[in-house]
Amino acid sequence: MTAEWIVFFITALLLSAALFCYTLAVVGVYRFGFILNRMHAGGIGDSLGLLCVIAAVMTATGLKSDSLKLLLLIVFMWFTSPVSSHFLSQVEYYAGGELKLWK
Amino acid sequence: MKELFFRWLSGDMELLEDISDAAEIPDSSREDLKKQKKENRQKIQGTESVIRAEEKGFFAFYRVVSVMSCIVLIGVLLYTVANLPRYGEENPRTVEVVKRYIEHGVEETGAVNIVTGMILDYRAFDTLGESHVLFTALVCVLILLKLDKKTIRGGHLDSYYTIKEDRFFDISEDSVLRLVGTILVPCIILFGIYVLLNGQNGPGGGFSAGAILGAALIVFSLAFGFEAVDRVFSARVLSLTTFVSLAFYSLAKGYVFFTGANGLENHIPKGIPGNIFSGGLILPLNVAVGLVVACTMYGFFSLFKRGNIGGA
Repeated sequence: MTAEWIVFFITALLLSAALFCYTLAVVGVYRFGFILNRMHAGGIGDSLGLLCVIAAVMTATGLKSDSLKLLLLIVFMWFTSPVSSHFLSQVEYYAGGELKLWK
Repeated sequence: MKELFFRWLSGDMELLEDISDAAEIPDSSREDLKKQKKENRQKIQGTESVIRAEEKGFFAFYRVVSVMSCIVLIGVLLYTVANLPRYGEENPRTVEVVKRYIEHGVEETGAVNIVTGMILDYRAFDTLGESHVLFTALVCVLILLKLDKKTIRGGHLDSYYTIKEDRFFDISEDSVLRLVGTILVPCIILFGIYVLLNGQNGPGGGFSAGAILGAALIVFSLAFGFEAVDRVFSARVLSLTTFVSLAFYSLAKGYVFFTGANGLENHIPKGIPGNIFSGGLILPLNVAVGLVVACTMYGFFSLFKRGNIGGA
């Protein structure tokens, strides 16, 4: 009984941490004034937010073979999202810091 | 390069303008080029007015026929809707089929995944039409966007298009993307094949697997250029794959329809539900649909980016 409650609280803690990260990401993406700052804010959601969500799911379901698949999901996302950030920053470099931002 | 990119961003330059020309030509001859373009445009408009005068009668006829056929179609559809059963009414015509799928689906089709059994066995004719729709869409995009040889050589109208180089921002030389592509593309292809072969036993099937395989091809072409993809998956291979898949689907399903409708013996074994080779024709049909979807996705991407399938 107590074990279930501990699992529940860890899950809730991780999920609220993830929500906090995603809130930071959303606010940052819309409110920052410079494109690289916006990318930095978006990266928080992509890396730490995703990690927290998947860790929460793993603790909630317990360690099974599915946990390995979830781990692979983290690997895939952490592998691919820096590449897209890389190209965004390259576009920014070519434009010379004068891209118009949506406000 | 940077200056050109910025000019394009600020809307000063047309997207299709040849950048190699724009960089080399001095301002005085650029005026000539503009004049020439204007003359060309006027020439096209002149021919258009002639065509319009010739086809006026045809368009009047066209309007009458289109209105007539619309009225007939509306009448037929309204008549059909009026004869439909009311919503929520227990109707043996609709409920019977659903019950049959759920109760006897696994033993009749041999597929554990009832949805796959439905779309590739009971309603395979519908899926055949869907894969032909994809094929037709690819053909239409090919007709609209493919650059012909005259345009490529630059002898036709404006020498607008360059096909050898991607404009402004070529990412295929990037070392980061190359490394990630080297590691990711085999994994994506492996996952696509898993989804493709697992269609009758779990979530998956031809359409989703085709999307994954097409994405793998697109990542490959982005990271290593279209020339690298051409070595394994050229335009010829693409057209051959599409044709063979669609022809196999039509022939195999035609055989099943013929024997089923005429009560003849069907020689395709059902297999044990849950195995990879189960469900009779479902696995090969899934493979055919997946290949068609992958070819269509890659073909769309290549045509929109390059105006051609593959590098060439």
